[in-house]
Amino acid sequence: MSETIIVSILRNNPENDQPPSWCRYEIPFEEKNTVLGTLLYIQEELDPTLAFRYGCRYKRCGLCAVEVDGKPRMACHTYVKDGMRLSPLSKLPVIRDLVIDRESFFLDLQKRFLFVDEENCNSGIVLEPEEGAKLRSCAECLSCFASCPQYIFGDKDFGGPYIFVKLAQLSLDPRDNRNRHKQAIELGINRCLDCDSKCYCPNGLNIYREAVNHLLSKSS
Amino acid sequence: MRVESCDVLCLGGGGAGITAAVTAAEYGANVILVSKEPLGYGDTRISMGLTSFPGVVEGDSLELFYQDLLKGGEYLNDPELAWIMAEMNPFGVQLLESYGHLFQRNNKGLIGSDVAYLIGGHSLPRSIGCPPGGGISMGNALRAGAARSNIRVFEEVLASSLLCSGEHVAGAVCFDICRGEVFLIRAGAVIIATGGAGWLYYPHTDCNSGVNGDGYALAYNVGAKLIDMEQVQFMPFGLTHPASVCGVYVGEPSLAAPKGLIRNRNGEVILSGLGTMTRAQVTNAMAVELSRGGGTEYGGLLLDLEPNLALPEGRQMWNVRKERGQLNIVRFAYGEDAYRWKKPWDVTPTAHYFMGGIMVNTSGQSSVPGLYAAGQAMGGIHGANRLGSVSLAELFVFGYIAGKAAAKECIGQKPLDCSQGQEEAAGNIKSLSGRKGLYSPLVLQRRLQKTMWENVGIARVEKGLRTALKEIEEIEETCENLKIASQISYNRDIVHTIEIKHMLTVAKLITEAALMRCETRGAHLRLDFPEKDEKNWRRNIIVFKENNNFKIQSEAVKF
Repeated sequence: MSETIIVSILRNNPENDQPPSWCRYEIPFEEKNTVLGTLLYIQEELDPTLAFRYGCRYKRCGLCAVEVDGKPRMACHTYVKDGMRLSPLSKLPVIRDLVIDRESFFLDLQKRFLFVDEENCNSGIVLEPEEGAKLRSCAECLSCFASCPQYIFGDKDFGGPYIFVKLAQLSLDPRDNRNRHKQAIELGINRCLDCDSKCYCPNGLNIYREAVNHLLSKSS
Repeated sequence: MRVESCDVLCLGGGGAGITAAVTAAEYGANVILVSKEPLGYGDTRISMGLTSFPGVVEGDSLELFYQDLLKGGEYLNDPELAWIMAEMNPFGVQLLESYGHLFQRNNKGLIGSDVAYLIGGHSLPRSIGCPPGGGISMGNALRAGAARSNIRVFEEVLASSLLCSGEHVAGAVCFDICRGEVFLIRAGAVIIATGGAGWLYYPHTDCNSGVNGDGYALAYNVGAKLIDMEQVQFMPFGLTHPASVCGVYVGEPSLAAPKGLIRNRNGEVILSGLGTMTRAQVTNAMAVELSRGGGTEYGGLLLDLEPNLALPEGRQMWNVRKERGQLNIVRFAYGEDAYRWKKPWDVTPTAHYFMGGIMVNTSGQSSVPGLYAAGQAMGGIHGANRLGSVSLAELFVFGYIAGKAAAKECIGQKPLDCSQGQEEAAGNIKSLSGRKGLYSPLVLQRRLQKTMWENVGIARVEKGLRTALKEIEEIEETCENLKIASQISYNRDIVHTIEIKHMLTVAKLITEAALMRCETRGAHLRLDFPEKDEKNWRRNIIVFKENNNFKIQSEAVKF
């Protein structure tokens, strides 16, 4: 008899009126299997209706972020353990099961002008500080929203960590000429002042130190 | 049924698709971009982010780069496309930077010779990185570039077939994955920029999960010609285990420089001096050894990097790769000693890139009126092998060319009538939901992927190719008997069904072309024809559909 483990997944079907419910799955134990490996096993062998996103299978695409025992994690580089509970990123609207609605985040780029204006973008000589280059590794996985105690989806007065990372990155791009610090204030970054939460970033950004602090120090 | 209209419809949300869409809009077209994944989350984002940028080192020139492309491609390239690639490469790099990306610069703020790497097949260093996130920053910049433009973006929407008005392409039937809705998009021109088809070899691929070859099948089904589909690039070093990361890329030949070795299961050295070899040369040597039974219990060979640690420059290379985070995946899969190069890595080639694809002219136009292609979806630039770091610049160069040409073709034209066959094509997708047949479309994908890896993978022989064709035919028949969930939103069964049909089409094109090419050239290794045959096979293989029948022919290369 081979060894098995149990994982529970919060299933959510918006097409019936039932509240989301936990489903248990028994899966074969495998050395160094990941949460994503488990989701793929369930979809293939047990229940093809299980909805989740994934792409690259190791840490680059940012599509497979879910909550593991209540904490945001990338499914592709989290080893699975017996008794784990998997749910969608909290704070974000759910389409089905582990799939959250991402549509508004593309629209945010437009609404909040989160791009460098074209007339300033001719490259040539550009000296970008290291801090700015580092912020470019934000994989836009949206994990940070789920770990931010202030963030509420749809709150027009508070941008949230992902937006602050974008604003800080742009403010450090020498070609950008919008006032990103002013934008950050308008988007409620002062609420971060008294917050001791450590926003989680699977790619290792220290969001408070590298983005929020940068925007706060420039705006004071 | 919802119907959307535009001048230019762009299928694909990666580097080529976004560049094509934004360019078409800049030339005045009303543009819709459809992306199967969230926008900008495809293979461009997950790349290491190295781009070719000829001319940064003294002695380099466009001509020399062009010659390298041809030599590396073993002279199957379309020379006109290869020349455009060389000539416009610097422009492509600037175009991506104009969306907000930045490539690595030296302390003067310039892309200079001191930031250029030498990669196998290039005569001189001309590959530029973008630390520290690699392609992630490209993905972010592409999203920003799309947001800055006035294109309409439909994310997580998949095209199931193209619509025609007579001979002219005039739109697409689309499926909105999140909403479960089938709808039509009418267009004056369609640009296919859906990338390659690495997922045909899952799990032995380092491509993103959506890379199923949809665009090749869409184009083939409306009669477009495709070129050299047998030329599939396998990156030599992919992981073999654990299962959840099998196929993930850990490096290209230059990783092993200067002293790295490849050993077989018995520890015998089968390859050294990898630093100057092309991907195809290393992969083919590995494939021959694996076919002789030299593989490990995981089906891999042993990449031994430890000899590098004896040299200062070797230790330096370890540091560089550690700093860039490129070794984390190895620690994750194989542990601390492997991370420190003290223990060899178990590696096997992994499907990475398709040199073949939709045949286009120098304006990105396919053989079907109104149909364009760009990026990996098009074929011909790279011939039988692509040199490292060229594919990213390619996206912006050829995305730009196709976007501009498509816009010029259809601005001010009257919308075409694409009602021919639209109800039937849409009905085919609508009727999928809730089918009570026997087979899961995902399980059929796995069956196809297994036969492609085993029989049409890194080492090919006639018998195996014929086995694959038979298996493809059997899976096609099984597709008549599918079991499909009835949920509306995020119904992966429907997506998998559209995909498996496309995948079967592409699998057949690859296998037939591989069977026809009775030689070994570039990425195409025939164990039963192990030599290059310059006399008979300096030819391109063209596949297309005529009067509903599959056609295959060869044409002399255009030199």
